[in-house]
Amino acid sequence: MIRACVWLLERLLPADWSDHVIGDLVEQQHRGSWWMLRQTLAALLFLRARPHRGDRMLSTFLNDMRIGARHLRRAPAFAATSVVTLGIAIGASAAIFSVIEPVLLRPLPYPHAERLAFVWERNRDGTFDNIGFETVVDLADNAKSIEHWAAIGSWEPTLGDDTPERVSGDRVSWSYFRTLGVQPAIGRDFLEEEDQQGHNGEVILSHGLWQRRFGSDSSAVGKKISVGGMPMTIVGVMPANFDNVVSPNAEIWRVLGYEPSLPFACRTCHHLRMIARMKPGASMRAAATELDQIHARLEKAYPKEYASVGAGVVPMQEEVTRGFRPALLALAGAVCLVLLIAMANVVNLQLARAVRRRDEFAIRSALGAGRGRMTQQLLAEGLVLALIGGLAGVIVARVALPVLTTYLPPDLPRLGAIHLDAGGFAAVAALVLLLSIVMAVIPGSLAANELGASLRSGRRLASGAQHITRSTLVVAEIALAAMLLAGATLVGRSLERLLGVNAGFETSHLLSLEVDAVGKKYPNAASLYAYHDRVRDAVRGVPGVASVAVTSQLPLGGNMDRFGITDVGNPPSNPEQVPSGDRYTVTQDYLATMKIPLLRGRWFTAAEAVDTMNHVVVVSQSLAQRLWPGQDALGQRIRMGESTRATRTVIGVTGDVKHSGLDANITQGFYVPERQWFFADNAITVVVRTSLEPASVAPAVRRAISAVDPSLPIIRVATMDQLIAKSTAQRRLALVLFAAFAGAAVLLAVAGIYGVLAGSVAERTREIGLRSALGATPREIVALVVRQGARLGIVGLVAGLAGGALLTKYLRTFLYGIGAGDPITLAAVIVALGAVTLAACAVPALRAVRIDPSEALRSE
Amino acid sequence: MLGELEQTVILAVLHVGADAYGVPVHDEIHRRTGRDVTIGTIYKTLTRLEEKGLVASHIGDPTPERGGRRTRCYAVTPAGRRALQASIKTLRRMAAGLDVGLEPS
Repeated sequence: MIRACVWLLERLLPADWSDHVIGDLVEQQHRGSWWMLRQTLAALLFLRARPHRGDRMLSTFLNDMRIGARHLRRAPAFAATSVVTLGIAIGASAAIFSVIEPVLLRPLPYPHAERLAFVWERNRDGTFDNIGFETVVDLADNAKSIEHWAAIGSWEPTLGDDTPERVSGDRVSWSYFRTLGVQPAIGRDFLEEEDQQGHNGEVILSHGLWQRRFGSDSSAVGKKISVGGMPMTIVGVMPANFDNVVSPNAEIWRVLGYEPSLPFACRTCHHLRMIARMKPGASMRAAATELDQIHARLEKAYPKEYASVGAGVVPMQEEVTRGFRPALLALAGAVCLVLLIAMANVVNLQLARAVRRRDEFAIRSALGAGRGRMTQQLLAEGLVLALIGGLAGVIVARVALPVLTTYLPPDLPRLGAIHLDAGGFAAVAALVLLLSIVMAVIPGSLAANELGASLRSGRRLASGAQHITRSTLVVAEIALAAMLLAGATLVGRSLERLLGVNAGFETSHLLSLEVDAVGKKYPNAASLYAYHDRVRDAVRGVPGVASVAVTSQLPLGGNMDRFGITDVGNPPSNPEQVPSGDRYTVTQDYLATMKIPLLRGRWFTAAEAVDTMNHVVVVSQSLAQRLWPGQDALGQRIRMGESTRATRTVIGVTGDVKHSGLDANITQGFYVPERQWFFADNAITVVVRTSLEPASVAPAVRRAISAVDPSLPIIRVATMDQLIAKSTAQRRLALVLFAAFAGAAVLLAVAGIYGVLAGSVAERTREIGLRSALGATPREIVALVVRQGARLGIVGLVAGLAGGALLTKYLRTFLYGIGAGDPITLAAVIVALGAVTLAACAVPALRAVRIDPSEALRSE
Repeated sequence: MLGELEQTVILAVLHVGADAYGVPVHDEIHRRTGRDVTIGTIYKTLTRLEEKGLVASHIGDPTPERGGRRTRCYAVTPAGRRALQASIKTLRRMAAGLDVGLEPS
């Protein structure tokens, strides 16, 4: 609070004031947040508004604002409700805007970023795929529109021998940084002659990694560093402000060093990404056409190597935000709805107040105030209210934004650029201005129409126009609330469904640890297998451990390791058509530890686990169905990878496992004994089934693994529940935000209905009294009030559900196993809003019943 | 004739003596009258008084508990004292002979 206040005062107070006023507040900060807030607002109000002499119009306006402030002080309930409503709405808008602006709208932080693009292979179904090195070279060599280009392969090396650390990086063409238009801050860029096979011992570090591992020592450049057990030279350090949107997490780069002759540089080896900088003046569309034509020629020249049907050119800005755009836009939409509701509510409060202030305006008008003069007064009051609301909003945004940022996905591009800055303030200022005009003009124009009548009649009745306006606003509020509520319910039900999905294995009581075994102690496969066995023995002895296994990768663990699978008995004519599956290279206890069901055949035996002659494989059900629909998978022979690899006999079929996420729909996978695979993995996952709470066993398991070889880094320790939570984090965030927005919307709508009904009952006191005097039962009077509320509710609901049907298509990324028109969701929204509408009717209805007829008739 | 808030603030500055800046002036008014005037209001009043030449201000020393920020300290000028005397005299004369509970005890 104190920091927010100081921050506000520093920016808003004149320089000759801020220093000693802030000093006074800082000195007295022990008096608490409320004291601080009150002092801050007072200081802003009194010390800022100094009228400029000689400018009569302005000084009158400032005077009006001061009068407006005094009016607000006299109506504290109205002022507090309005300020809180506006503060939440403006704050939420500013926070969401501060996220969206740098991520979606601001140009990428590279020179002429509009000329940068990703180049993909385009599949027949319109999806994009990674690209093989030979294709990259052919495209780049033939395209006239490309100025610079680079291929990128992901790379996760382990640094250092003494305190090993695994970092995320990229292997890139030598021209990578040149293509982006950036240069190292210290040292030099890669050279063309370094980008060759066998000559790629140079690395460039990110500023963060250089700070962390080398204490920002500039003499680190030129030194050798152990990378994955090999000595490499640091040739450069990137600047601190290098914002890498291509791979937001990359901290180290080395050259790719590919040549077309290498086996993994082939056209079907789809593991690279390609970026290109177009020549000045070459349009993206022309470049796309040109690359497409070149690709078509390649397809003709190598018909067996391409299943893709063209090249896909996507501007870099669009590509890096593609995954997040729908989610961010949905949030922006939700926050706009909240803002609209807040605006409607404050206008409604103003209208209610205007009824009570009618006499004041009538007198002013009688004393000669023109319509313009009175609108000016209302505008000033609206501005005061909106300004205070805006200040509250800035505080809300300052508090909300850091919380929001921690929940954003860590791979969101430009995460570092998200903070409340000039753009956010401009958004707030624009909102304040808009709100103050709306809040002044609507009540003002209604009030002005019936000035004369008011003085004559002396009665405080709302006019027909006012009734209609207020009712329309309430209907709009209910409609908007219904839309948000429907959105929140849909997202919530999707999450519930997703968490109910069967992952294919038992997810509770499961602990996983990732270890990367690199260095001189592990020169060959045998030493790695021996290490795996020692780790399993050590972990098995930990109390609370039921069983333990080693696997090359873990479902829901975020790894991605797939191999093409060839049916040896019936090989496909085009190698691009071979299906691929997740590779699990595992120890024998894996199936039992994960509790994956075995559907047919058998799992491999302890003898087969060490038999390197007769190769066996267990496949997942969906892979068996893909390869041999309607046939028996057992006894079939398949091969993974190139044609030189061993042929394996299928001995069993397991249930499917969700590998890439609970919402994954690809579940093809295969299991091979680790000693039968053609290489030994350095990075492995130790998976532990525990009899106790897995988190409580984790420290002991970690110690046991470290004791086997203390020099190896344990990269990640996570329970399966944590991994699931992580994989659903984005949906959870969406749910929390939608629920919060919907909750606020419903509250505001209830307040709106209540306000209209309460006002109406108060005005109709005489009529209701007369009715009950003439024999109306309490029931009929309740019905009178409820009917009015229900009419508002029903119209609002119908409008809201119709609007929701149009808008929920933007929610599609958050939905899982549920349609936007889900009947249960619709029913839930109708019941919930119906219930709160009735609840909002209750108090006014009771008040109407309690009206004493004799008193009511005498009162006016 | 000084305004009521102006009188209160001048009196508070006199009571505090040296080092009369926002916080002690606020506390003095609060202690004596129970009124919780905001610091912003006090500075606003002091500025008006300074424009009339009734108080003078100087910039004090920064302290760590103020986050290294300076104070602005006020003192009542001779003109300020005269204005205060005149103001209080006017009040006394007007109250003389009336039983408004203001008679010296």
